[in-house]
Amino acid sequence: MELANTLSQDGESRRGVLAHLERLETQVSRCRKKLEEPQSAQAVESALGTRIHELRRLRDKLRAEVKQHQARVKASTTNVEPDQTLEITEQEFLKRKRENVKAILQAYRFTGISGKLTSRGVCVCIGTAFEGNLLDSYFVDLVMQKPPQIHHHSIPVFIPLEEISAKYLQTNIQHFLFTLCEYLNAYSGRKYQADRLQSDFAAFLAGPLQRNSLCNLLSFTYKAEPEGQSFPFCARLLYKDLTTTLPTDVTVTYQGTDALSTTREEQRAAHENLFFTKPLHQVFTSFASKGDKLDMSLVS
Amino acid sequence: MTEKSIKKVLQRHRLSGDCHMITFQLEFQLLEIQNEESLSSVITDLSIIMEPTEYSELSEFVSRAEERRDLFMFFRSLHFFVEWCEYRKRTFKRFKEKYPEAVHLSEGASSSCMGIRSPSRPGFELVIVWRIQIDEEGKVLPKLDLLTKVPLQALELDKNGVIETAPLSFRTLLGVLGIEATLESLIKSLHTEASN
Repeated sequence: MELANTLSQDGESRRGVLAHLERLETQVSRCRKKLEEPQSAQAVESALGTRIHELRRLRDKLRAEVKQHQARVKASTTNVEPDQTLEITEQEFLKRKRENVKAILQAYRFTGISGKLTSRGVCVCIGTAFEGNLLDSYFVDLVMQKPPQIHHHSIPVFIPLEEISAKYLQTNIQHFLFTLCEYLNAYSGRKYQADRLQSDFAAFLAGPLQRNSLCNLLSFTYKAEPEGQSFPFCARLLYKDLTTTLPTDVTVTYQGTDALSTTREEQRAAHENLFFTKPLHQVFTSFASKGDKLDMSLVS
Repeated sequence: MTEKSIKKVLQRHRLSGDCHMITFQLEFQLLEIQNEESLSSVITDLSIIMEPTEYSELSEFVSRAEERRDLFMFFRSLHFFVEWCEYRKRTFKRFKEKYPEAVHLSEGASSSCMGIRSPSRPGFELVIVWRIQIDEEGKVLPKLDLLTKVPLQALELDKNGVIETAPLSFRTLLGVLGIEATLESLIKSLHTEASN
């Protein structure tokens, strides 16, 4: 049709021919493209084809899984009685609850007071610690009758257990336990300090550390510098309040016969103050680190 | 030659809970060192978060407990502190209910102050400040003080210096009668005067 149009007009015959040639050219390039297209189209087609295969495979796999799961669910619901399914979930629930309670009971160990039920009542375990060091623990086995009584215990004999139980056991068991806790922790703390002094700072002691079983009366002779020429001081620490780990009475005396120089007197007074305010082993740590220059800033 | 084997285990724990009106959350690390002779357990790190934070006495106590890594002391002292707070609250509430016009609690039952006024004697006021302190060692102690508010005229008439020595006398009375009886006697003294 195009051919006919261009050839019929004379004036435009050359333009027509050129136009015709152009058209032919575009046709050729189009044909060439079409020839190429199948190749890339083929490539695309094959790529798409593989993709389709993959997706089909995945779909079939998922379908199979769904079928399996459905079958399983059907099987479990048909094989088991309705009551039993309820029981199982209840069992699961109770198991989880019991584990939770167990975990909480374990956590109570970290509060210092924990306990477990016994046939008679409850066995309470009291833990002791000093400055982050977990020390001995003690137990009290209580019989929960009216009135509650102590069945047996591991409390050391020098702790006034009878006194404390007479005061609180019948009226307020919680208060009884917490008070006992106070006494035991304080004793443990004092014992720890005395033990540390004996083991870590033996070089500073000029004689053995004298202590009672309650560790509330300590007496020792010491030097602030182990190698130094200074004469030893005599220290006596009394812890009148059995619920404390710091002494209530401190006396530091000088052993020698001649009078003390002013510096020595200052030192003596400073030491007395230190023993009042810091745990025993910490006082000696400060002696060890400061050498013979007593840092007055510690005395505050 | 024997080989010394030392086993170290570091545990991390988080505890959260509440004690009456206070909730706490603790995180701490526990280092267990097992050598041939013994097993030692040390708390190596302790951090404590407490709500509510309006008990100012508690913040100092908490930082001290953290510093000393004294987990047990924290719980022990917290228990006693809360017990004392509850006791103070109950006592103040009881007096407020018994003597509604005379007793004045500025912040309700949880306040730390109780004011005693006499409706017929305005200008006079006895204020009892009841603080609950936790000392360096974690011991919880109540600390009560008496403040007096008296008109100038009355002061001039006070030849025996009763007002001046009131805070000291209050302390002595506490030792003799105990907290509740002392507070009640103070309320009654101002209250009965009013009815005369």
